[in-house]
Amino acid sequence: MEKQLEDIKAIREMMEKSSKFLSLSGFSGILAGVTATVGAAFAWLYLLRNPEATNFNRMQEITILLADAILVLFLSVSFALYFSWKKAKKNNMKLINKTTLKTIYNLGIPLLAGGIFSVICLWRGDVEIVASTTLIFYGLGLINASKYTFEEIHYLGITEVILGIGAAIFLSHGIIFWTIGFGICHIVYGAILYKKYDLK
Amino acid sequence: MANIISNLNKAFDSRIRLGIMSVLMVNDSVDFNTMKELLELTDGNLASHIRALEGLNYIQSLKQFIGRKPNTQYSITETGRIAFQDHLNALEKLIQ
Repeated sequence: MEKQLEDIKAIREMMEKSSKFLSLSGFSGILAGVTATVGAAFAWLYLLRNPEATNFNRMQEITILLADAILVLFLSVSFALYFSWKKAKKNNMKLINKTTLKTIYNLGIPLLAGGIFSVICLWRGDVEIVASTTLIFYGLGLINASKYTFEEIHYLGITEVILGIGAAIFLSHGIIFWTIGFGICHIVYGAILYKKYDLK
Repeated sequence: MANIISNLNKAFDSRIRLGIMSVLMVNDSVDFNTMKELLELTDGNLASHIRALEGLNYIQSLKQFIGRKPNTQYSITETGRIAFQDHLNALEKLIQ
């Protein structure tokens, strides 16, 4: 009886371990959320709160926002790579394997499409809609990639898509939806993943 | 009870063979080194269990070259899938 229970547990563990990207670090999610919140706060305080206070023209504003967003993205990806690598090492796994690549590929396609689409929007001077497009495409990417990693990522994806639609409806409050989606949601879901999987 | 136990497949008595079958149930194909890392085994140990499962026609191998490096991909056969499913069912019945 004891052996049979252990056998079933081993089977389930091996199926999960071999087919899912389990090295994703929850802690890096928390850090990404904090980074996004700081980036959004900077954009809000420095530019969006009172556009008349600064003497930037529209193009300069867009450049600063883009630089801010790229910095946030760069830091978040770096955190994700570093802490996932550490987690993989701790669990005696390689960070880059078939499931990692599948996860990145499935997240990457909607993300790349959304990134290009958002840059086109910016280029056309349509800054307000970008909070919505980044949230929606990111959410779709997460839903797409969640088959290959923790199931919580699926729900994070749905949350992001809903926030993205909200940001499109309340266009002038895009920054609030963006901060909730990329900041607070990452902190909350990161903490859930951290508590559930990292601490094991 | 004795009847149920007899449904358990002796081939899957070893935890390593159970692991190999579990991995191949959810992956189309897996190469030798990945399998080794997943199960945390040595070459010789894994090879002997793979040979046993191949002998039973539960798994099959496909040898190929990636560049100049030999690479062997393993996958589950239909016989293996049915045998493992039966074994799983027997396990579940036992712990009910």
